[in-house]
Amino acid sequence: MKVLAIAEKELREYVLKPGSISWGIVFPLVFTLAFAVRFGDVDHLAPGLVSISVLFGTTSFVSSSIIFERRLRTFERLLVAPVSYSEIVLAKVLTGSIFGLFVGFVSLLFLRAFMVYPIWNLSLFVLFLVLSAFTFSALGLYVSLVVENPINAMTWLNLIRLPMMFTSGAIVSLLLFPKWFLVVGLVTPMTYSVDGLRFAMLHYYDVVNPIYAFLVLLLLSMVFLYLSILRVERLY
Amino acid sequence: MAEAIIAKNLVKRYGDFEAVRGVSFSVKKGEAFALLGPNGAGKTTTVRMLTTLTSITSGEAYVNGFDVKRERLAVRKSIGLVPDVSNLYDELTVRDNLRFMAKLYDAPLERVEELIREFELPADRKFGKLSTGFKRRVTIASALIHEPEVLFLDEPTNGLDVHSAKAVRALIRVLNKRGMTVFITTHNMVEAETIPQRIAIMREGKIVAEGKRGELAKLIGKKVIVKLSVEPLTSSLLRALEEYDVSFDEGRLLLEVENVDEFLERLYSLKTELGFRIEGLCTEVPSVEDVFVELTKGCPCGGCPL
Repeated sequence: MKVLAIAEKELREYVLKPGSISWGIVFPLVFTLAFAVRFGDVDHLAPGLVSISVLFGTTSFVSSSIIFERRLRTFERLLVAPVSYSEIVLAKVLTGSIFGLFVGFVSLLFLRAFMVYPIWNLSLFVLFLVLSAFTFSALGLYVSLVVENPINAMTWLNLIRLPMMFTSGAIVSLLLFPKWFLVVGLVTPMTYSVDGLRFAMLHYYDVVNPIYAFLVLLLLSMVFLYLSILRVERLY
Repeated sequence: MAEAIIAKNLVKRYGDFEAVRGVSFSVKKGEAFALLGPNGAGKTTTVRMLTTLTSITSGEAYVNGFDVKRERLAVRKSIGLVPDVSNLYDELTVRDNLRFMAKLYDAPLERVEELIREFELPADRKFGKLSTGFKRRVTIASALIHEPEVLFLDEPTNGLDVHSAKAVRALIRVLNKRGMTVFITTHNMVEAETIPQRIAIMREGKIVAEGKRGELAKLIGKKVIVKLSVEPLTSSLLRALEEYDVSFDEGRLLLEVENVDEFLERLYSLKTELGFRIEGLCTEVPSVEDVFVELTKGCPCGGCPL
């Protein structure tokens, strides 16, 4: 219950604001248009673009909320209350995921206008979208807890996010790279999100079987969640 | 009377820097206790350790009988904290901020309306739009949502104007009168003079003095000043009072007295003996500020407010 109370507070304090909502609409719109104008139909790119939108949406939101709260010391409100560190971390990740889902669905909405084929399995799409949002949100939280300064957080996040756009096969299929590059692809968390979404949307995948994609995303989300809890414990 | 707070040899180290160096004290239930010290003395770090906001490097602490190191959640349930900054959520209204706190502390939601009425809070205004004084009131109200047994206040009147500061001090006194244990850290002398029953002075991470106001004055060897007007002022009276280091100020006698009761006994026996009239008599006890200045003199923190 406390997790939900914190998540509700986060939504009202940070998400339901004109700035956040506009960002959640403009970012996927720009990405969609950029690729649609260049390539016409975006079917093969659509899963990658949804994944990129979710990655940037969740990590940016979680990062700014935690850094803002630590700077203004509102985070201490939670730490001094009878709430466990795991509940606090879970609430933060949950809110980031909700924002990620919003950005993901907005992204899908725009992409549908340029897609030829219908979504193969909408339920599976939602499942992979939820898992991707949760994993990226937990990753963003962990990175933001490791760095102290907000400018550093954005730098570190970009150092992680930008290469992932290429090493995950989100924009260029991993099958087009040399074989050795697959190793890089397989250690990139986003690869599992992109291939999972690809299977759900287009009924095929590039390198990762959807069952493995599901299991790895689940495992990664737990790992990042656990690391974030450990980090909060160490910080306070 | 049982102890509400016990600190035994508390130490906090950040790398090589020792912010708190073996601090020990206790606060009784229902007592108002102040931790005084210049900036950087270790007051806030001590509060952060006692409220579970930062880990204890070594030593022991108990709040309401709970071990601060091992029973963190139990400690948090039984305390309220008003930090040195008003850190509630800007985008939420006062009522929503208090409702959120009620949910965190499992307090009944009716308590929110009680606090709004009691503290005369503008319930529907966003916290971020409030004046500094009102923000402080809301922050104090939010710390009381679960009716804690101990209230920690870190520099409670920091940044407030004179009227708001006075109102906050009055509020703290009321809470203490109702039986709440109050623990304040401050470098504000008005606060130190008016709220606590007992005071500890910190300097460079250590407690250098602890006790009631009068007891602290003795520590620095300052005597009570007695201002006396008598008629007629005779040389035999002056001779009889010689031992008190007499001086004159606007026609009054100023005497430095160690024990006021003994002095008054002597004065009245002299009155009978020499037949003078006492036209005015008042005493001036050394202030907490005098004690503070004396004990933190030459403090290398570089941030002393005095």
